[in-house]
Amino acid sequence: MIQIIVFLPLLAAIVAGLANRSIGNVPAKVLTTGALFVSCALSWPIFLAFMSGNESAYVQPVMTWVRSGGFDFDWALRVDTLTAVMLVVITSVSALVHLYSWGYMDEDPDQPRFFAYLSLFTFAMLMLVTADNLVQMFFGWEGVGLASYLLIGFWFRKPSASAAAIKAFVVNRVGDLGFMLGIFGVFLVFGTVSIPEILVAAPDQAGSSIGFLGLRVDTMSLLCILLFIGAMGKSAQLGLHTWLPDAMEGPTPVSALIHAATMVTAGVFMVCRLSPLFETSQFALNFVTIVGATTAIFAATIGLVQTDIKRVIAYSTCSQLGYMFFAAGVGAYGAAMFHLFTHAFFKALLFLGAGSVIHAMHHEQDMRFYGGLRKQIPVTFWGMMAGTLAITGVGIVGLGGFAGFYSKDAIIEVAFAADAPYAGYAWFMGVSAALLTSFYSWRLMFLTFWGKPRWADSEHIQHAIHGHHNDVDHATHAHEEAAADNPPAQEDAGSAPHAHAADAEQLPDGTGGYHPHESPLSMLIPLIVLSVGAVFAGFVFHNFFVEPETAGAFWQGSLAFNEPLMHAMHEVPTWVKWSSTAAMLLGLLVAALMYLRETDAPRQVAENLSPLYKFLLNKWYFDELYTLIFVRPAFWFGRIFWKGGDKGVIDRFGPDGVANVVRSSSGLAVRFQSGYLYSYALVMLLGLVGLVTWVMVR
Amino acid sequence: MDYGQSLLITLPEIILSIGGLVLLLVAAWSGAKATRAVSISAVALLVAAGVATLCYTGDAFGALYSGDQFSDFGHVLIYIAAAISLMIAPRFFQRAGLARAEYPILILYACVGMGMMVSATDFLTLYIGLELNSLAAYVLASFLRTDERSAEAGLKYFVLGALASGILLFGMSLVYGFTGSTSFVAVLGSLGGGMETGALFGIVFVLAGLAFKISAVPFHMWTPDVYEGAPTPVTAFFASAPKVAATALTVRVAVDAFGTQTLAWQQIIIFIALASIILGGVAAIGQTNLKRLLAYSSINNIGFLLIGLAAGTQEGISAVLVYLSIYVAMTLGSFACIMQLRGPDGEPREELSDIAGLSQTNKGLALAMAIFMFSLAGIPPLFGFWGKVVVFDAAIGAGLLPLAVIGIAASVIGAFYYIKIVKLMYFDESRTVLQTGDGKALAWIGAIMALLVSPLGYFSIPLLGGFANNAASALF
Amino acid sequence: MIQTFAFYLFATIVLLSGAFTIFAKNPVHSVLWLILAFFNAAGLMVLAGAEFIAMLLVIVYVGAVAVLFLFVVMMLDIDFAELRAGFARYLFFGIVLAVFLAIELVLGLEAFRAGAIKLGTATSAPVDAAVPNLEAIGALLYTKYVFLFEAAGLILLVAMIGAIVLTHRKRSGTRPQNVAKQVRRRPQDAVRNLTPEIGQGVDL
Repeated sequence: MIQIIVFLPLLAAIVAGLANRSIGNVPAKVLTTGALFVSCALSWPIFLAFMSGNESAYVQPVMTWVRSGGFDFDWALRVDTLTAVMLVVITSVSALVHLYSWGYMDEDPDQPRFFAYLSLFTFAMLMLVTADNLVQMFFGWEGVGLASYLLIGFWFRKPSASAAAIKAFVVNRVGDLGFMLGIFGVFLVFGTVSIPEILVAAPDQAGSSIGFLGLRVDTMSLLCILLFIGAMGKSAQLGLHTWLPDAMEGPTPVSALIHAATMVTAGVFMVCRLSPLFETSQFALNFVTIVGATTAIFAATIGLVQTDIKRVIAYSTCSQLGYMFFAAGVGAYGAAMFHLFTHAFFKALLFLGAGSVIHAMHHEQDMRFYGGLRKQIPVTFWGMMAGTLAITGVGIVGLGGFAGFYSKDAIIEVAFAADAPYAGYAWFMGVSAALLTSFYSWRLMFLTFWGKPRWADSEHIQHAIHGHHNDVDHATHAHEEAAADNPPAQEDAGSAPHAHAADAEQLPDGTGGYHPHESPLSMLIPLIVLSVGAVFAGFVFHNFFVEPETAGAFWQGSLAFNEPLMHAMHEVPTWVKWSSTAAMLLGLLVAALMYLRETDAPRQVAENLSPLYKFLLNKWYFDELYTLIFVRPAFWFGRIFWKGGDKGVIDRFGPDGVANVVRSSSGLAVRFQSGYLYSYALVMLLGLVGLVTWVMVR
Repeated sequence: MDYGQSLLITLPEIILSIGGLVLLLVAAWSGAKATRAVSISAVALLVAAGVATLCYTGDAFGALYSGDQFSDFGHVLIYIAAAISLMIAPRFFQRAGLARAEYPILILYACVGMGMMVSATDFLTLYIGLELNSLAAYVLASFLRTDERSAEAGLKYFVLGALASGILLFGMSLVYGFTGSTSFVAVLGSLGGGMETGALFGIVFVLAGLAFKISAVPFHMWTPDVYEGAPTPVTAFFASAPKVAATALTVRVAVDAFGTQTLAWQQIIIFIALASIILGGVAAIGQTNLKRLLAYSSINNIGFLLIGLAAGTQEGISAVLVYLSIYVAMTLGSFACIMQLRGPDGEPREELSDIAGLSQTNKGLALAMAIFMFSLAGIPPLFGFWGKVVVFDAAIGAGLLPLAVIGIAASVIGAFYYIKIVKLMYFDESRTVLQTGDGKALAWIGAIMALLVSPLGYFSIPLLGGFANNAASALF
Repeated sequence: MIQTFAFYLFATIVLLSGAFTIFAKNPVHSVLWLILAFFNAAGLMVLAGAEFIAMLLVIVYVGAVAVLFLFVVMMLDIDFAELRAGFARYLFFGIVLAVFLAIELVLGLEAFRAGAIKLGTATSAPVDAAVPNLEAIGALLYTKYVFLFEAAGLILLVAMIGAIVLTHRKRSGTRPQNVAKQVRRRPQDAVRNLTPEIGQGVDL
């Protein structure tokens, strides 16, 4: 059964990918989507069996992989509670995204390729979560990286998409290097890459030290931090986060599947999977906590000022991943997984909703050109609303609420309750980030769905109107996006750009004569299904994931479940419990004030706090900093090695030199071949005399 | 000496000789009309001779002639190559207006000579076989007597061949003088008890004379001119059957006659092999004529063959035979492809530029040609790769690691022009009007050879390797 | 003693006349030098006791081959000056090469020392002095070496075929002999017996 779940998407990807256009769009789509729905249908029973406690962890061997002395492991699919959780998340979201893509990618000329990539990604992700050893996990890890690269660069004719794909790949390599070193280190220390064996052996190694870069360092801290660097890359944590916003160049379904629900959570999954290992090093846990908490607040601040609807959600994802990490860092792995689980639903929902909006708005992604869409696309609106309620954690303490209310509040509370060194910092950052989350999420909602239409000034909409409303090729349209991308405006998103004010007056309703249409059914069904998840996932599953009495039995030791900590979580003072709700309400109020009532306020704030605003708008200048510190020197070194080393030395004396020698000696040989008999005879005799001389003097 | 037995063992030569005489009478009687019938009969005679080869084994006429498994292998390969050379020829000569019945007859007598070469266990047999083959070859090279280039090719071949014969004879007389016998067995025994410098010189001269026949550097100078000038079917013949015979002969002399003084000739062979590989690769780069190019290709391939001989072990000899078989298929196939290139008036085209853009005009031909080129370059998964593998494997097995390394590195040079042909065919625009395809025989032979050197050829490894091993074991 | 003297005489003349064959400016002179070389070689053969081969050299090489050469050389219209141009160009280099090879051979064979060269011992049966040369050769050629003898015959056959193939062409307008017709012709077909009257024997 587990084999079918894992390999069916691969099969579909191979068939659809190799046959490509020769089998046509519909068969490829039916095949891949069908395969995913089958996988999904098979995954839920496994999850339910673990929920009911009828199933226990097992390993399904597939085939021998490597037998080389002590380096010895197999392809094997590990199924336990943690895997089961990931299975349902991956297959459900993936199946829905496949379905959604029927509508979203309808006009694209390369649909089989797109669906093949999606299925390939799903396979790699499943391989990652079912891994029984680190090498197999690494295989899946790289597989999802590859699929991510391919999908971000899916519209490869668009230069910005190609650049984003490369950036994602390169930044991930940095993390992967850490992961690889971690695996090497684990093998060095434990002599095995099998995850269960490592976890059993880990406590014995606590306190030992190892030589690294000429220093003596604590073994477990080193290994955990190296592994965590890998997780940071994949999960876009502070420092290695720069690729995630750029990855929004890919089609929106991709953003929903890969860059919100599944791949970016691989880091969290990995930390949870290896939680007994991390438990042996308080230093590593502190590191995880600090990175997670800082990312949570950092990404949220940037999200405040972004105007691209997808980028807002992308920074939101980054921030939420920070939550998961600091939850893991303070020891509440169950809470981290719970947030991962609920986040997958509501963030996928938000992305797919955003995709639906973009679809309706003719590929306009700038929220400044939205407004008043509530009436035009009601289903999308209600779906987005559910997602926003979930992410901001709306709910009443003691009664219940949306998904985020259970998972995010659990993390904030557990951070308060934990006595880990940096838990207090994490708690403070968590509450602050909750405030910001609420603000930017509602800002997105208000700008998009409330207010007056501001569509008239959008080049995309203009294009659509003047392009006779009909069939401008979906894909080409998307490709033009790069050219039409609006430069970051100096004023805040809330106010309509001045330059266009005159235009807006000509058409008082601001619609420019354009009427958005609701998306087709294939896009709405996933929205509805995910809305249900966003609303109820927290309420239904929180008992299993975080409640101290029941969660221990649920996890069955597949992660380090800290029951006393979970008890302590419930014992926190009431004001703590209310703190996040308060932060949420505050954010909502400010957003409502600024974007519904005083619509000029954002611009004023931006002008008054201009340095801060610019700092945030430019994403804390991370890209610029990296360009300065890493990219430029790397290019410089590259140029030196390329021109001086490769071309000047290796090529000159290597291939080019040899080629020149060959060419000139060829000329010589041809010249010798004069066509005159006596020169031929001479060469023969010379050869003969040469040979005789050689045997004589030898 | 049992004459009856001896005659049975030399039956293939007798069949071909008497058959050739009969066909000669037919040809003399009915002139050019009989060309077709004579050609067909000649092929039939080759088949009969091939069967006769396999029927009887043993030594004939004292120690003059040996019908062992090694000679069987050589005979069969030579007859196959000769038969193919006969089959691809008729249309070419018809178009040149010189379809003559003497062509198959000369090929038959060349085969008699080659048969004697591969079976020779005495220097006298060696020399007579060699001369019989050579004399027929000189005539064949200038067979298109109306073509100046053909006449020039024949003359050059003849004069240089005479020089080479002189060197060979001188070497043989030295060997005879210092060992007291012309028989390989006696020479082997005599050399086993120590060697005078005179005998060493004899070995060098003999190897030099044989190197001329296999066109190994530095005795290769005739090859490009003769290959270019000779009629294309004759070039195909030169590149295949006589190469087999001369290589087999060299192997037999080196092992059977000089086997007790391996160190004396090993370094010479190594030098000749490397020089052939490198020069064959380097000089080919500057060529513009396809036949000339294939001439250098054959020089290059001889180098690889000699690496197997340099190993001097049974695996080495076995590898030589495997490589030879594959080489024959590749080279005959290449020529069958080249012969299908014709200009608007049906005249043969053989310039490198003529082949440009072939993939657009004739896909099948271009594909076959590409297969042969990749195979000659030794690129896996084509069968030519296997030949190189076994040869280098044998060299490494014999401890000649540096030789193998240099050989492999130098094979890259050769790959350049093979792949250049493929590039011309597939990526360049056609500049000349070209007719392609010339009858079913050429197409079939091209296709069959392409199939043999395609990855399917690997299925023949057990069979081919088994035969080659048996044949090689006959020498040790 | 006389034999030794004769050997050195013949050998020296063979070598010298061989050299002159190569260096002579006039090709007719070359052929004449060659004939001298053949004669002296025949003399060497006589000294070695191979009378048959000696006679063969004189009759075949001098009597047939060399004379044929002379005819060919004299009949062909060849610009010898042009041929010699390349000769002069390579002369120096050729001589150096030849001398080098010669020195190597002398050194290698240790021919500079006094005494016999260490040759191998012949494995063939010793020659019976009582059997005449011709008979001994014949016996060998038609028994032990019959295979090679016949093969040598094939070489001549191939040479003949080659010569015909390369030179024979059908000429139109010629009136070749019809041997069969000639042989078939009887006297009664061709001859009339007449007794003509005087003065009427010729039809004018």
